[in-house]
Amino acid sequence: MLTVGYGKVKPVIIGKNQPLVFIGGPCAIENRDHAFYMADHISKICSKLSMPWIYKSCYDKDCRSAPESFHGLGVDHGLRILSDVRDEFGIPVVSDFSDPAWATATGEVCDMVQVPAYLCRQTSILKAAAATSRPIHLKKGQFMSPWNMKNSVRKIEAAGNYQILLADRGTFFGYNMLVNDFTSLPIMARTGYPVCFDATHSIQLPTSMGNISGGQREFIPNLVRAAAACGIQALFIETHNDPANAMSDSNTVLDLNYLEFVLTQAKAIHEARLNLIAELGEDRVHSEAQ
Amino acid sequence: MLVSHVMLPLDKFPVLKQNEIFKVCLDEMCRYRLGIACIVDESGRLLGIFTDGDLRRALLKNQKPIPSLYIDDVLDHGTLSPLHVFPSDSLSSAIEMMELHHVWDLPVLDSSSHLVGLLHLHPVVKALLPSHTL
Repeated sequence: MLTVGYGKVKPVIIGKNQPLVFIGGPCAIENRDHAFYMADHISKICSKLSMPWIYKSCYDKDCRSAPESFHGLGVDHGLRILSDVRDEFGIPVVSDFSDPAWATATGEVCDMVQVPAYLCRQTSILKAAAATSRPIHLKKGQFMSPWNMKNSVRKIEAAGNYQILLADRGTFFGYNMLVNDFTSLPIMARTGYPVCFDATHSIQLPTSMGNISGGQREFIPNLVRAAAACGIQALFIETHNDPANAMSDSNTVLDLNYLEFVLTQAKAIHEARLNLIAELGEDRVHSEAQ
Repeated sequence: MLVSHVMLPLDKFPVLKQNEIFKVCLDEMCRYRLGIACIVDESGRLLGIFTDGDLRRALLKNQKPIPSLYIDDVLDHGTLSPLHVFPSDSLSSAIEMMELHHVWDLPVLDSSSHLVGLLHLHPVVKALLPSHTL
């Protein structure tokens, strides 16, 4: 079980038999006003649904396909805005970091630090994340098997951090295509850590548009329902009030207008699953030939 | 003759930490050319063993990709609370235990369940040959 939140923010608990936690926000921090606008609107939705949540937005987008794509506000400016968001709204915040040199600053502000999927094997990033002493949102690389994520987990543990959330964000299926193998969720859960489903990156078509990524966001509700039924402790969705003009991941972010619709379903399915476990017990179908 | 006279010391057979993975265990068993690995906790207490027999059973039961099996904690496929002997046990009683249970390796424990050695049948036979004197 993870507790995300330090200082004055209301801590969010991610764990077995706990309410489903939403992690979301705009992919990139675009500016202070927009960050506040998004935090305010998501806060209202999550408050209405009684859903604990963590604001996610990144200050540096190092995996853009094109050099002219928006790269982010940078570590100092971005973290100042995230710090203001957590102060103003009293919610935990998370950002990824793609350079070990940014880990300390990220951990000083953020309640949780995120390891990008493409970097999930990089020892230097994992050690730097562990050294922040914050909970770590570790995304399964699109090229990784779920069982091999144990190696990344062990690297973090070896560095003395035992607060990990493992996420599935899709797996490469040939070129420019991702699929979701939902067995990845229970397989990663065998590490003993909670698991998260990243819906908006799962529907991404990586670099399918030549110099940017495409996406099939019409499938977000389907995948969210499937993941919640499969068993997750957190749900990750990037959302934007104007996806067409989003400065990052414009083809995959969920329109803010649909967020309540999707979260309502995720929460209902999560609670139904917990009720079934309470009534029938945990899954106990044996995995191997007897 | 006592078990302590012929048991292999800790550096002569595979001794693994409790969260060591299946693949590393196989590597160690090949390196030592022994059909057994002993799995211990941080303090050296024996938690279980993994043998060639466990390997055969794991392969026959396994329905998942081999790379997935390789990264399992080996203890999940091993034998917990295995047969064992103590250094002060007589060699003849240990041999009887091997005969009774059809095994040719027995972990040797001290009174606190710490692993102190391994009784392997081959050195035992050698020790009992008429030409061998202790």
